[in-house]
Amino acid sequence: MAGAAAPKPGARIGARQETLAGYALVAVPMLFFLVLNIGTFFYAAYISVWKWNIRTGPVEFVGLRNFERILTDPVFQSAVKNTIYYTVIWVPLTMAVGLFLAVVVNQKIRGQTAFRAAFYFPAIASSAAITMLWIFLVSPYGLFNEVRGALGLNPLFQFFGYGPNENWIGDYRAAMNTVIVLNAWTTSGTFMLFYLASLQAISHEVYEAAAIDGADAWQAFWRITFPLLRPGHFFVATVGVIGGLQVFDQAFIAGSPNGDPANALMTIVLYLYNTLFIQINPGYAAAVGIVLFVIIFTATLIQRQLFGRTPGW
Amino acid sequence: MRRLLTFGVAASLVFAACGAAASPSPGASAPASVAPETPGGSPEASPTAAGFDPNSISGSVTLGQWESSPAERSALASALAAFKVTYPKITVDQQTIAGDYRAQMITRFGAHNPPDIFYVNAEYAQDWIDQGFLQPLNDYAQQQGFDTSPFFKDYVNIFTGKDGTIYGLPKDGNTIAMAYNTDLVSTPPATLDDLISTAQSLKGQGSLKAPLCLNPGLDRGLAFIYAQGGSLLTADNSAQAIDAPESKAAVQWYMDLFKNGLGMTASDMGDGWCGEALGKGDAAIVFEGGWLLGYMQSSFPDVKWAFAEMPTGSSGSKVTISYTAAYGIGVDSANKDQAWVVMQYLTGPAGMAVWTGGGIAVPSRTDVPVPAGFDVIVKGAAYSKPGSGFMKGYNDVQKAFQDAFTKQITDKTYSADPVVAATVDAINKALSQ
Repeated sequence: MAGAAAPKPGARIGARQETLAGYALVAVPMLFFLVLNIGTFFYAAYISVWKWNIRTGPVEFVGLRNFERILTDPVFQSAVKNTIYYTVIWVPLTMAVGLFLAVVVNQKIRGQTAFRAAFYFPAIASSAAITMLWIFLVSPYGLFNEVRGALGLNPLFQFFGYGPNENWIGDYRAAMNTVIVLNAWTTSGTFMLFYLASLQAISHEVYEAAAIDGADAWQAFWRITFPLLRPGHFFVATVGVIGGLQVFDQAFIAGSPNGDPANALMTIVLYLYNTLFIQINPGYAAAVGIVLFVIIFTATLIQRQLFGRTPGW
Repeated sequence: MRRLLTFGVAASLVFAACGAAASPSPGASAPASVAPETPGGSPEASPTAAGFDPNSISGSVTLGQWESSPAERSALASALAAFKVTYPKITVDQQTIAGDYRAQMITRFGAHNPPDIFYVNAEYAQDWIDQGFLQPLNDYAQQQGFDTSPFFKDYVNIFTGKDGTIYGLPKDGNTIAMAYNTDLVSTPPATLDDLISTAQSLKGQGSLKAPLCLNPGLDRGLAFIYAQGGSLLTADNSAQAIDAPESKAAVQWYMDLFKNGLGMTASDMGDGWCGEALGKGDAAIVFEGGWLLGYMQSSFPDVKWAFAEMPTGSSGSKVTISYTAAYGIGVDSANKDQAWVVMQYLTGPAGMAVWTGGGIAVPSRTDVPVPAGFDVIVKGAAYSKPGSGFMKGYNDVQKAFQDAFTKQITDKTYSADPVVAATVDAINKALSQ
C-alpha cells in the first residue's frame, strides 16, 4: 500500500488533512459564536453611546450619558443590590443542596435511578409553569401557610415578623427570599448532576486507604470528598454565579416587568427588559447590557482567583 | 340559533377567501395617490362618491392582536366574518400574539415588519406615537369621509398626537364602575362617605377577608383622587398636581382604607385580581370594568352581584376613569390601504356592533347600541377621565406611586407623603423627557 511504502510523507499529509478537517468542523460553530456572541457584544457597545430609535437607528450621539444615568438611577441600584443578594444567597444554598443530593444518590441504594430522576425533574419542567405553581403554594391562603399553621410553627414565623397569612410573593420584604428558595429547589437537580459526575471521578482507592486508616464516613466526606471535588466546586460556582446574575424569568413572572412588589424583584436583566420594551430606549438598554457584562466578567475573574487558576475538568 | 348564524358567516368567509386570494396586493401606496379628495359620505357610500373607496381595494391583511379569553376570540371571529361579507375582496390573516404583546410588537417594529393592522393599548399609545411606529390616519379618514366625531372624545384623544394627527381609532372602551355582592350590600353606596359606612358595617362579616378589594396603585386609585378633586397633572397636562392639598388628602384617604381594615389587595387575599375576590366571597365591593361581566358569568355564575356607578366624592360631581385600546397601522406595514379598510369597518358602527355584541367589550362610539349588562359602564364614559394614555412615560409614574404605596401599607406606616413625593419626582422626570 502507498501508506506502507512511504509512511512519513503520507502521515504528514494525513495530519494536515486532519487539521484542515478539524478547522472546517470548528469553523461553523465558531462563525455563529463570533457573529451572535462577539459581534452582538460590539454592536451593543456601539448602540450604548447613542440615543437610539429601534426602528430608524441612531438619533443622537450621547457618549457616556446612558451609563451616567444608569449608575445614578435608584431603580438600577436596587436591581444591582437585589441581583447580588440573590446570587450570594442562592449559589451557596443551591450548591449545598445539590452536593447533598449528589452524595445521597451516589450511595448504592435501591431505586437510585428513580431518585436521580425525581430530583432532576424540576430542572426540566418549564420555569413559567413551576413559578406559577410556586406562587399558588406560597399565597396567603396557600398550602405552605396552611401546613406551617397545622404544624404549630406560626410562633416561629411570628418572631421574624411574618403573620399566619403572610403573602410571601406580595410582601416586598419576603419576595426575593421566596424566589431564592424556589430557584434553589428547581436548580439543585442540575447542580446534583454536575457534582455526581465529579464524585464518580474520585478513585475508590482513596476511600479504601482512608477506611484502613480508620476514617469514619463524616471524616471521609470532609477530608476526602469535599477537597477532591474542587474542580466540581469551581465549575458549579462559576455556572451558578453567571446564571444567578442573569436571573430573570421567575422574577418576571412573579413580579411583572416592574419588579413588583416595590422593586423587590427588580433584577438587572428585568431592568434591561423594562428599559427596552416599556421605556423603548434601546441605547440605554444596550448600556445596561454592557454594565451587566462587566459585572459578570469581574465576578468570574474573582472566582478564578479564589478557586485556583487551573481547574481540572 | 346564534351558533347557526356564526357557522353561516364562517362558511361564507371560507368561500369568499378562496375568491380573493388571487387578486394582487396594491402595496403600501398612500391613499393620497388614489383620487382627489371628496368631503362627506359614510364608509358605505357609493363607490364613486368617495376619494378613497374601500370597496375598490382588494388583497390580504395581517391583523395582530392579543387575546385575553376564548370569548374574545369568538367575538373577533364574528366581527371578521361580518367584515368578509361586506368586503369580500379582502382576506384577513389573524395572528394572535401570545406572551408579552408589547415586547413582541416592539421587536416587530424594530424589524420593520409589524402586522398590517394591530391593537394599540392606551397605556403605551403616546410612547408608540412618539417613537414613530404608527401611521397617521387623517388622510384616510378625510378622503373616505370617515367621521370620527361619534367616538367618545377622551378615547380618540389618547391616540392623537400633539399636533392633532390621529394615529389610532378606538376599537372599544371601558370605564371603571363599582361591582358589589347584592347578597351583602342591599343598596350600593352613592357617596364616598356612604362607601366608608357600608364597608364598616361589612367588616368581619361572613367569609369576607375585607369589605373592599383595592388595587395599591393608580390603576384604580386615580378614580378616587379625581373623585375628591385631586389630580396627577394640571388641567393642561403640563405639570404635576399630585402634591396639591386635595390630591394629597385623597391619597391619604385611599391609604386609610387599608389602615382601617376596610380594604385589602387581591394579592393579600390570595386572589389573582379583585374579580376573583368578588367571586370567591373574599370581598363584597370591587372596582372593575366591563371585563368583569363575562368573567363572573363563566367562573362564578351563582354569585349575585351588580354594577353601580362609582360613588361621588367631595368634588361633588360624578367621575370615573376609562381604559381603551385602538386599532393602529404601522408606518412599515406592507398593506396599509387594506388595513385601513379593515379598520374603518371594525371601528365603524356596523363592525363595532358585531364586536361588542360578543359580550366582552363596550362600544367606544356613541352610535353603537349598548350590549346587555353594560349600561353602567357606558354611562361612565360620559363623565370619565382617561385612566392611562394621557401622558408619555406613564408607566414610570404608576410604578413610582405603586412602589411607594405598597411599601407604606406593608410597613403599616400609612403615610401619603412619601408616595406623593415619589410620584412628583416621577412625573417631573416623565414630563422633562
